[in-house]
Amino acid sequence: MQPLLSFGLSVRRMAAALMIATAMPVVANAAAEGTITIAVGADATTFHPHVNALPVGNAVDMLVFEQLFRMGADSKVVPQLAQEWGWSEDGMTFTVRFETGHVFSNGNPLDAEAVAASFNQLLDPKSGSIYAGLYASLGRAEAQGDDTVVFHLAEQNGHILMLLANSAAGIIDVKANAEMGAEYGRKPVGSGPYVIDEFIGGERFSLIPNPTYKGALPATLEKITFMSVPEDGARMALIETGEADVVDRVPADAIDAVNDSGLAKVILPDSMFSISMELINSGVLADRRVREALNISIDRDGMIQGILGGLATPSVGMVGPGTQDELRATFPPKPFDPARAKDLLTEAGYGPGNPLSLVVTCPNGRYIKDSQVCQALVAQWQAIGIDAKSQVMDLSNWSANSRLPLSERKDNMTMVGRATAGIDFTLYRLFKTGVSTNISGFSNPEVDRLLAEGRATVDPEAQKKIYGEVQKIIWDQDPYVFLWYQKQALGVSNRVNGFAIRPDETMIFDNLTVSSN
Amino acid sequence: MYVLRRFVVAIPTLLAVSILAFWFVDMIPGDPAAKLAGNMATNEEVAAIRSHLGLDQSPIARYGLFLKGVVDPEIAVSYRTSRPVVQEIGERLPKTLIVAVGGLLLGILFGVVTGVICALRQGGWFDAIVTIVTLAGISMPIYWLGLLCIWLFAVELRWLPAAGAATPWHFVLPVIVVATRPAALFSRLVTANLLEVMGKDYLDTARSKGLSETRVIVRHALRNSLVAAVSVAGVQFGGMLGGSVVTETVFGIPGLGRLLVEAVGSSDYPVIQYCVLMFAAVFIVINLATDLIGQWLDPRTREKSAATGYGRI
Repeated sequence: MQPLLSFGLSVRRMAAALMIATAMPVVANAAAEGTITIAVGADATTFHPHVNALPVGNAVDMLVFEQLFRMGADSKVVPQLAQEWGWSEDGMTFTVRFETGHVFSNGNPLDAEAVAASFNQLLDPKSGSIYAGLYASLGRAEAQGDDTVVFHLAEQNGHILMLLANSAAGIIDVKANAEMGAEYGRKPVGSGPYVIDEFIGGERFSLIPNPTYKGALPATLEKITFMSVPEDGARMALIETGEADVVDRVPADAIDAVNDSGLAKVILPDSMFSISMELINSGVLADRRVREALNISIDRDGMIQGILGGLATPSVGMVGPGTQDELRATFPPKPFDPARAKDLLTEAGYGPGNPLSLVVTCPNGRYIKDSQVCQALVAQWQAIGIDAKSQVMDLSNWSANSRLPLSERKDNMTMVGRATAGIDFTLYRLFKTGVSTNISGFSNPEVDRLLAEGRATVDPEAQKKIYGEVQKIIWDQDPYVFLWYQKQALGVSNRVNGFAIRPDETMIFDNLTVSSN
Repeated sequence: MYVLRRFVVAIPTLLAVSILAFWFVDMIPGDPAAKLAGNMATNEEVAAIRSHLGLDQSPIARYGLFLKGVVDPEIAVSYRTSRPVVQEIGERLPKTLIVAVGGLLLGILFGVVTGVICALRQGGWFDAIVTIVTLAGISMPIYWLGLLCIWLFAVELRWLPAAGAATPWHFVLPVIVVATRPAALFSRLVTANLLEVMGKDYLDTARSKGLSETRVIVRHALRNSLVAAVSVAGVQFGGMLGGSVVTETVFGIPGLGRLLVEAVGSSDYPVIQYCVLMFAAVFIVINLATDLIGQWLDPRTREKSAATGYGRI
């Protein structure tokens, strides 16, 4: 397993590729055995990787499609089809040679033409792909021979492996997609270990082993059934009666009942969902002292225990756990020091005769207990003399509000949860000056420079240093009131072994087995 | 002829509904393209998706397409799934109908039987129990009752599955829960109407012809007291379609109600708009059906409707 030296790889880049390659999954030989039923709150409507935006869809796409690279339960990028890869000297071409002999479940070969066509469709917004922007730096894919695909990049991007490991980069059979149209989203044709057996919209769908699968992660189960049950009470009843083997989104007040059922236990894995109040860093909040005062005047632990039922951990950095942990930096949590917050406000010129007025926007029903959190925040800020008002909005208005140009916003901050795989993507979109998703209006020349530098480099050590600095500046500048990372809560039956879920809430079935009951 | 005329009259109604459905949904704040793209998408990426969905066309042009979509399924496609809305509705409708029709039939059966018994045994213990149960049935929110039933029959007794729609057993709880309201209403209604007609002279006439008491009640008294009940049944059935939003969410049944809730949640405008239009069409058909059944039960209204062309007045 050698990176392609003919593409002019520097030794450093080669080392990076090798480091990743050592994490190659082990070939499993066990025959598929047993069935599992998973009840989820969300309703998967499409498995087309270019359109799917749900974690459930990600999990299914990882089972139905193969990728050049993939991310296992530990969120580390490992090669899947890829065998050799490398950047050109100018960093504008990325070449991957991959394992041949794989076929789609309809018998079509998974060759270089197919891989290139799959990526070119992903990159074409006219195809309806919602990820064309995320993947834009891949530029254009070109087939070379049978086993090599060349990406003519639109810009230097040292984070390509991360993009390619995301489930949106699953290799689809473009020809089958063209023939099937929208049905492809329900019965996708891929080369992964499973195929969709049946899909009943809004109720359930199931996967069975793909007989044509050629890869290293064969199906371990005879059948995986997903049920869509939006009502929490009904979903919990399914795990308590043993009708389901796994349920997601266990409400805090149902955890004991599930544990007491004797059939299942609740697990609380980390989620990368990072909840913050994204401040408008201009106007009254242009003063860093005020932003710091807001950050240190709230009792995060108290709110987590009292309101969220313990389903969160206080933020120790802007991005949540599992967001490229090798590049993620963490810091001491923000202290809870209302006295110092008051001093900071006084320093900034606010006092009893001249209170700071703030409007605090929150959605209702988007994040765990969001509107209650809003009330608690406002009360705590009022306690240090701020004239804070909450503005709880329905989801449509809340979403429209955060897309308004800063000059038209009538509030001072809005609650947003961010969860994206990739440090570069997250920080670039949220903190680079002038990017339209930077809804705090944060602007820092040093951060801009570092973000550009970090994107252009392919050296992991350099990336680590650069993104460490960026994250430090962001944490110290308090552009947001950093709240917490939500926790996931899943009920898992005692007969299920090896169940894993990534912090991006994607279930991983690589080593999942069930004992007979 | 009468039926045809009613359908012609329905066209302007449907057109008005189509205008309301289209414009009201269109006025919902928020952008379906932004919803699809997620909160990390830049304005340019959202604009590209908006253009792909055709949302960058003028509202008039989109309304034209919406109307055209009624006859051309290829135009009327869901934003979320890209499948024709008619396909989405088609696979969901049967499940909603099973619950609604099943619930209504069970409700009518229970309501009429208990109603008749209560009317005949006024003031007895059976009457007292039915009164309490029916009052509870009318006042209990479906949502709450549904969860209670899941807890009792699925979790505690393990008689029935908790949620889903895979087997006929999955429909038992939802049908029973949905039946409570019509059962309660019919029971009260039939009792009240029967008591009202019981003293009428024509029943004595029937008895004097030598008919058995059962025949008098069923053929003469009940038939007349059902006229009002049929109108109520029509309204109830319409209400059940609307109420399916709640029932289907609680029991995880993939019906129209769920489809609508999800479409609203994800700003899938075409699905919302065509669902509303379809509900309106169903209401019109139900109204017509109740009028026709009413006329069959009460011959006097036939002459009136023949004269006016507008059914019972």
